[in-house]
Amino acid sequence: MNGIWYYMERDMIKWFRGRIGVVTLLVMPAAWLIFVGLALPVTFTGNYLDFITPGILVMTMLASSMQGGALLMFDKILGFLNKFLALPTPRESILFGKILFITIRGVIQSTIILLVAILIGATILSPIQYGTIFLILILFGILLSGLATTLALYVGDHDSYAAVNTMISMPLFFTSSALMPYSVMPPWLRAIASVNPLSFAIDAIRSVGTGVVPFLQIGILIVLGIVVIALCIRVFRGMTV
Amino acid sequence: MNAIETHDLTRNYDSLCAVDHLSLSVNNEIFGLLGPNGSGKTTTVLMLTTLLRPTAGTATVCGYDIVREGEKVRQQLSYVPQDMAVDIKLTGRENVLLFAHLYGIVNPKDKTDEVLSIMELSDRADDLIRTYSGGMRRRLELAQALVHEPAVLFLDEPTIGLDVAARKKIWDHIGTLRKNGMTIFVTTHYMDEADQYCDRVGIVSNGRVVALGQPSSLKSQLMTDVITAKISGPFVPLEVEGIQFVGQKDDEITFTAENGKEALPRIAQSLTENGIQVRSLSLREPTLDDVFLHAVGKQEEPHHFNDQQFRTMLRRRK
Repeated sequence: MNGIWYYMERDMIKWFRGRIGVVTLLVMPAAWLIFVGLALPVTFTGNYLDFITPGILVMTMLASSMQGGALLMFDKILGFLNKFLALPTPRESILFGKILFITIRGVIQSTIILLVAILIGATILSPIQYGTIFLILILFGILLSGLATTLALYVGDHDSYAAVNTMISMPLFFTSSALMPYSVMPPWLRAIASVNPLSFAIDAIRSVGTGVVPFLQIGILIVLGIVVIALCIRVFRGMTV
Repeated sequence: MNAIETHDLTRNYDSLCAVDHLSLSVNNEIFGLLGPNGSGKTTTVLMLTTLLRPTAGTATVCGYDIVREGEKVRQQLSYVPQDMAVDIKLTGRENVLLFAHLYGIVNPKDKTDEVLSIMELSDRADDLIRTYSGGMRRRLELAQALVHEPAVLFLDEPTIGLDVAARKKIWDHIGTLRKNGMTIFVTTHYMDEADQYCDRVGIVSNGRVVALGQPSSLKSQLMTDVITAKISGPFVPLEVEGIQFVGQKDDEITFTAENGKEALPRIAQSLTENGIQVRSLSLREPTLDDVFLHAVGKQEEPHHFNDQQFRTMLRRRK
């Protein structure tokens, strides 16, 4: 158990010392929030900022997780992974340490984005509502960071992973319910959006905003998370002896 | 019980046999595994450190089986790979402390201070690794490896890319560890270093051990002097009694003879008779290089280079 914490701490210190990296990942979601959230003339809601904020929070988590996926791959390329694998520490804690770090980092970044949203006029919710929102974001973060880490390990080199990352991130975001409600989507998009895992998280956060606890979506995220983690452990073990 | 015991240890990468029925016993010594690049040294270390599964054969480290008792094996060893993987955004102390924590050391802070001072890094301990030289980074890796006082230390090419002074320092530290009772398993392709610092060496070629023993006894087994001739023009093998042709590297031809001083004029004469112009002749005591050349045979291109196989091997062992 301890290993997980120390692996996470290592990445956390490196991230904070990176300075530029701390800011760059926030620029994109903040720009969406301000330039789209405040400016897009929509007719289906009176407060588009409130509508788009859940989508942007999930987007922040998505970007952070996808970028974090490359961390373990780099550890492998640079020889760190072999050093860690030769330690008596349980080997899976390397994987869990990464997932923990990426999720915590995503939560920190989402918090900042949430503060930006409130600053520019998003409705303030109750502490319980925020608590539920972060629970959803954490579940979503675990799901995605596990997926991204495994994917990067599987792809194996940096260039290919960057290409895969670009290929996945944007389409996943645009085919979710982040930007518009299901009611105004064309039917084909509605069909895709309703099975997009991003939508589960976004819809869940939206219903928290309206005062409903989204047990169904949280349940789906938990089940998906368990499946993905099980898959990650399998791939990780297969790739490391 | 020996610290390291291997029995017919074998590893294939598809059709390429990287390690071929390797049987070794190593205990309480500095053991050097020597050989050219691609001879199976790293593959052997990866198997012994439980990072790679053997295709066949068995091996134990401190009595624990490397396949069935991986975690117990890892508790006994430390491994410093060839890559020099230290976090440049962390300080020296943080790098070592991470390993102290991961090993579950009882008082990690004190132990970290201790190994840093052994490796003469105390005064730079709080600087970022970014500012460390190659030799310091290597010593830091040794500090990381020593923080849990392993019974067996595996070092893969510990002096690669370092200058002479830094190399000597590393070897001095390794020597001290050996005196304190640690078993050290080193791979290198620097024969002179192995000759000077290893208690025993095993020379591998194409995954097989071709010579095994103390450097001095391996050299004396040759019981010969080494004569090197520099020539111009093509070389035709000679038949001179009592003189063995060992190998050719560019324009340098190496022979061995029991009495080098007497052999010199005969070699010169024979070469000249065959129409070869001799530019210089030199005589010296045998080195491990000669043992290697002798053991591996005439080592021009032992096997033709297969690009596909080489790539497969690189990919697999990452």
